Amino acid sequence: MNNLGLTVRVSVLTAAATLSTIARADGPITLWYQRGGNPDQQRIMQKDLVEPFNAAHPTTPLTLDVLAGGSGDKKIRMAVISGKGPDIVMTPGPSTTLALVQSDHLLPLDDYIKKYNLDKRILTPVLRTGEYHGHNYALPRTFETMVLYYNKTLFDKNGWAPPKTMTELNTIAEALVTKGIIPFSVGNGDWRAANEWHVSVILNHYAGPENIYKALKGEMPWTDPVFAQAIDVLKDWYQKGWFGKNYFSLTGDQQALLLAKGEAGMAPNGTFSFDNMVAAFKQTGQELGVASFPSLREGVPYPLYSIGTGSTMSINKNSANPDAAAAFLDYLYSDDFYDRISKDWPGDWNLPLTSIDEAKLTKNVSPIFAKTFTAFSNAVAQGNYGYTTWTFWPPATEDYLIHGIEQVWLGQISTADYLKKMQEIFAKELADGKVPPPAPR
Amino acid sequence: MRPTQSGALGVLSGWITRLRDSPVPFLLPALAINVAIILIPGLLTIAMAFFEWDGASTPGFVGLDNFRTIFADPVFFSALFNNIKWTAIFLTIPIAMGLGAGSLLLVAKRGRTFFQVVYFLPVIIATVVVARVWQGMIYNPESGIVGWLKLYGINLADPLTHPPTALYAVASVDLWHWWGFLAVIFFAAFRQVDAAQIEAAVIDGASFFQLLRYVLIPAIRPTITLMMIMTIIWSFLAFDFVYVLTQGGPAYASEVLSTLSYRYAFYNYTMGPAAAVALVISFFGLIATFFYVRIQQREGNQ
Repeated sequence: MNNLGLTVRVSVLTAAATLSTIARADGPITLWYQRGGNPDQQRIMQKDLVEPFNAAHPTTPLTLDVLAGGSGDKKIRMAVISGKGPDIVMTPGPSTTLALVQSDHLLPLDDYIKKYNLDKRILTPVLRTGEYHGHNYALPRTFETMVLYYNKTLFDKNGWAPPKTMTELNTIAEALVTKGIIPFSVGNGDWRAANEWHVSVILNHYAGPENIYKALKGEMPWTDPVFAQAIDVLKDWYQKGWFGKNYFSLTGDQQALLLAKGEAGMAPNGTFSFDNMVAAFKQTGQELGVASFPSLREGVPYPLYSIGTGSTMSINKNSANPDAAAAFLDYLYSDDFYDRISKDWPGDWNLPLTSIDEAKLTKNVSPIFAKTFTAFSNAVAQGNYGYTTWTFWPPATEDYLIHGIEQVWLGQISTADYLKKMQEIFAKELADGKVPPPAPR
Repeated sequence: MRPTQSGALGVLSGWITRLRDSPVPFLLPALAINVAIILIPGLLTIAMAFFEWDGASTPGFVGLDNFRTIFADPVFFSALFNNIKWTAIFLTIPIAMGLGAGSLLLVAKRGRTFFQVVYFLPVIIATVVVARVWQGMIYNPESGIVGWLKLYGINLADPLTHPPTALYAVASVDLWHWWGFLAVIFFAAFRQVDAAQIEAAVIDGASFFQLLRYVLIPAIRPTITLMMIMTIIWSFLAFDFVYVLTQGGPAYASEVLSTLSYRYAFYNYTMGPAAAVALVISFFGLIATFFYVRIQQREGNQ
């Protein structure tokens, strides 16, 4: 081989390598937003998410597709499994992420987390929910928890403070029943999985996060008496009418309105319902209150907030441009984006950032929202957190938990039968490696 | 011996002629579609019933385990029983209503088109819209007629939310949506009945019910049989109204096989049991199809 030939070949190879690097570094990246969005919300995402990122990264602009809520997650999952799909993979939570990690469809994010200091910017216990076998594959996006909404106008009129213990809760609920007011404005008319909000509340605030952690690790069965007592309390609440007569009919809007009208006194619900609640109270002119759910058993801390990750963000292993996708994650978890989105769309894009503080948030959102999220973030930072079922339970156990509790409420099966079956399903999923990693204690 | 060029052309031309004269080119498009979207997914579903798969990892063969799983699940049997109840409801009520309304349309000369449109209207409204209207504007205890009646002291409960009534409440909505279709089909069949037969019966003094019993219904028996067999197949496929209105609840009271299969597949991510339930659904469809083909053959022979 003569020298000229060698030089030409080396030059061609170098040029090809350079071109391939350019091809990897440039070009649009894609995100499929999985939760649906009305036209206003889509405009907000374009304005706060897409445009600022694209202005700063003109060679790797983001293309955002909004998929229909309800089926969007399934479409993303199918596309990713078939080796395609968006660069940035949004999932409805750690159990879906786990399946994609186990089937080797997601990229480990450890290097990017280090590069962009994301471990300093995202609350550690929540960040670690994306860890599998020592690598992080998913960043938590929607940071949510269960709280106790209450009608402050009604509470003030009766001289009540939000309950902190089971005794205080019982006193207020019984007083409400006497007055013909429904204690809890709850229902599953438009979201059947709302059942699990109440199971989450009772397990965390009665059985306690330490016991849940042990059960999720397989060190304690779900049939343990402490869980049975917790489910019995929930069953008792339902059967003595604390959930009202129309639990299976009421939609989210109707629940909020009943509370805002003072026809119900309290509502255990998620922080994702903040918008609904605020809108309903604006309609009636009464005042909304928000508190941590009371501790229902001695030894269970107050205040306690259960961690919920309503969606996660990962990078597709088949992405042609993972660096640009990581740069997008850098923007997503920035104070700049958080400031913009919390002003325009509080709740859904509530990222678990370490930098959240009440004074800063109050500039953009209502004081009550700012106070709630700051309290939640602080509690998590201090290790005072529990576990929501939709974040930490494997899929089949979660599904049974949702549907089986209706049988308990309606007296078709006993608490023992319910927990026995839950344990059977859970044990199989634990053995199959389908239980997402619980936030450490 | 290698064929000469003209020999090869001759063979090709022979092929083309044979192809042109055969029914294959006419069958091919439909066949290709059926193979691609029915046969292959169908075979894959049958195979999937014997595998364990979460929709993401590599499937593993488990023999009959998926069938053991569904037979050990009490919800499977309650869902199967609900499908049987659903079939019984749809084999009787809408067919009786359709026959009644169809025959009345035949008798009534005035307003016939108007009533056909009125009966048929619910059929063309999208399922989700029908379901949401009934759920929010009729059954709902806050925003529906049930809630409105409360203002006048009539306390009714939302029938979708009580286990004993949930399935019937869903079936009522589907029934409202469906029976007009049967009325129009039966009316069209009645119109094919020989007018002389009807006139003869009327002259002989037959009452309306005698006319229906001895002339009209026997005359359209093939149509009724076909509709009944299709009803059995459709009843085992019932999904949409149940999914939108109750998602099988409360406490599995309105769960049917198709919603159970969907739950296994897309909530539990257990594709094997989902495919096994789908096979059970197909089994009932197959039985109905078998009877349909036999009846068709018998009529063909006659």
